[in-house]
Amino acid sequence: MAETEKSGKDAPTNPRGIPFAPFVENVQEYVSTRADVEGVLKNFQEMISKYQFMQANTERRLAGLKDKIPDIQKTVATVQFLRARDPDAEPLETTFELNDTLYAKANVQTPQEVYLWLGANVMLSYPLPDAETLLEDKLTAARSSLSNCEDDLDFLREQITTMEVATARVYNWDIGERRKEKGDGKTGEDGGSEAPPNG
Amino acid sequence: MAGAQQGQQIDISSLSAQQLSQVKKQLDDEVQHLTNSYQSLKRAQAKFRECVANVKSGVAESTKDKPILVPLTSSLYVPGKLADTKHVLVDVGTGFYVEKTTADAEKFYNGKVEELGSNIKELENIANGKAQNLRMVEEVLRQKMIAGQQQGGQGSASTT
Repeated sequence: MAETEKSGKDAPTNPRGIPFAPFVENVQEYVSTRADVEGVLKNFQEMISKYQFMQANTERRLAGLKDKIPDIQKTVATVQFLRARDPDAEPLETTFELNDTLYAKANVQTPQEVYLWLGANVMLSYPLPDAETLLEDKLTAARSSLSNCEDDLDFLREQITTMEVATARVYNWDIGERRKEKGDGKTGEDGGSEAPPNG
Repeated sequence: MAGAQQGQQIDISSLSAQQLSQVKKQLDDEVQHLTNSYQSLKRAQAKFRECVANVKSGVAESTKDKPILVPLTSSLYVPGKLADTKHVLVDVGTGFYVEKTTADAEKFYNGKVEELGSNIKELENIANGKAQNLRMVEEVLRQKMIAGQQQGGQGSASTT
């Protein structure tokens, strides 16, 4: 990503390619004169907004996954139930949804294959064991995506805080320098200002 | 329901331009809200009409032994046959499901469609009333602006 040139040092990334925010130990490394401060601050602001954008995306993905996972679980449970049934048992009477507020009764024989809706107008028929495997795979994938998203969110939050701290440091340094300059300019007054108030 | 004055008996031409803007904005928001509600009601009405069609054609003698795909969950379907062509389950709200005959279900849904229809009509009237108020306020506001500009123009013309 373009982050690497902008931050001035090589930014390592987390497992999903989100770059680390550089921690500003020593402001002098980044800013040599007061003129640089504007550019550096703008740079930092840009990075903060990029992180926030990524955060919004990840949150949306997380919400979608949280929605899907219970559905997949239900489907897996149903397929397992169908498998467990005796193939010669009586047909199952089920009430199914015809429309939002309308349900009807149907008789279902224990099927040897089931139809899975894969989305995007695609439905495939799978024999029962294959269907179960497929659904379980989907479920594990969804669950691991979920934990990745949660990790990413935590990571992003940390990086945003780091960037905000960096911005504050650079800004404070700038204020300190300004005071020093003013102090040097007014020779009479004690221009020796206190050290820049960064923690 | 009073069409033009709507409870505020003040003459709108007595309001300043700024107040008029505020009133206009408020009316704008209300009209927007009413339009959205109107659309939601229309959508709900369309769904109930769909239900009537479903009951008529789907759960009929003609489909009795035809194989159908029965949804067991949102992405799982199994082949099956319609068990009962005489009864359907209708969600009447607040967690109550009532088993009705197809004829009763049709009647129920048609009743809903009509109820919504009358609600929609009422809403339409209110929305139109508000829209009319909005137009009046806009008109008065525009006149004030023109008058204000003219005065300003006259003022500057007299000083030059």
